[in-house]
Amino acid sequence: MPSAVRESVSRTAMKANPRRARRQETVVLFAVANQMFAIAADAVQEIRSTDSLGASAIEIEQLEIGKVRHTVQRGGRAYFVVNAGMHFGLPVTRPTLVLILRQRRVAVLIDRIERMAEISDVHPLPLAFSGDERRWYCGLAHVDDLVIPVVQPDGFLTDDEFRTLDLAANGSASRPPIEGAASA
Amino acid sequence: MNQAAQSAQSSFVILQIGERRLALPAQIVAELAPPVRMHCFPHDTPSILGVILRRGHIVPVYDAASALGVHASSAQRFFLIARRRFGKAREFGAIPVNGDCELTAGELQPPAADRPSCVSGMLQYGDETLDVFDLDALMSSGLAADALDSAESRA
Repeated sequence: MPSAVRESVSRTAMKANPRRARRQETVVLFAVANQMFAIAADAVQEIRSTDSLGASAIEIEQLEIGKVRHTVQRGGRAYFVVNAGMHFGLPVTRPTLVLILRQRRVAVLIDRIERMAEISDVHPLPLAFSGDERRWYCGLAHVDDLVIPVVQPDGFLTDDEFRTLDLAANGSASRPPIEGAASA
Repeated sequence: MNQAAQSAQSSFVILQIGERRLALPAQIVAELAPPVRMHCFPHDTPSILGVILRRGHIVPVYDAASALGVHASSAQRFFLIARRRFGKAREFGAIPVNGDCELTAGELQPPAADRPSCVSGMLQYGDETLDVFDLDALMSSGLAADALDSAESRA
């Protein structure tokens, strides 16, 4: 019976997490395929609509990394546009916004911004998680009774993927921009 | 039973996952948690269903039914919280169960030769002989379901 288990194993029972010194962090809560994610606000340089970036998008010809099909130019710099749905293995959606990341050559296609939030604690990803998610997330946050993964800004593309994309982008650089390409 | 005989025995928690009854060593079991919301997010670890919040901890929920090769029951709304080892670190994990868990004492018998390596022994419980599982081995092997299937088809 549940009560028997509860009483008899009390010697090993979970103790409540002690309160730790907490540092508030501002995050952007965004959604892809109805799945909520958080990203540190200071990792995001700019949020644009896909329509507004379409004119500066350049298609890159490569099949190896399916989640990246375009670059966009911002401030004289080319950013690889990563489809977040494909990156996280979520159902295909029609992204409407682009998060342009700070100090990284990555822009991320997402469905919508939910809101900004203050989080006081990022829990480490449990050790039981052993797959690519260890690279995708820097931890988990508890926001309004939801557990939301906090995205690792450096986790969208590996060094090898950057190398592959750089080679492909160099071959595409001379082609003209494609109207509306960032929304694809 | 005198005290000496009792102390020679070990304690086990008997639980049901799908149609399978099995035992876990009681010393790794922390508690039986009530039904709470399981939170899911994209990941790439096949043995994990999601996470629950329990006493301020984020606890991964293991897909023990798949590891055992049984169908999860919709009655599995409680969570048995148990400790796992990851090298030197320890971490709580949750297994969805139907809430009918029992604590018993008994002597751990060696596993039958045909049992997979995640079965650490056998426990006589009434008329039943139950597999006692090594939770770490069960959740990390991924081969338990096939091994259990073939052992049971030979029996």
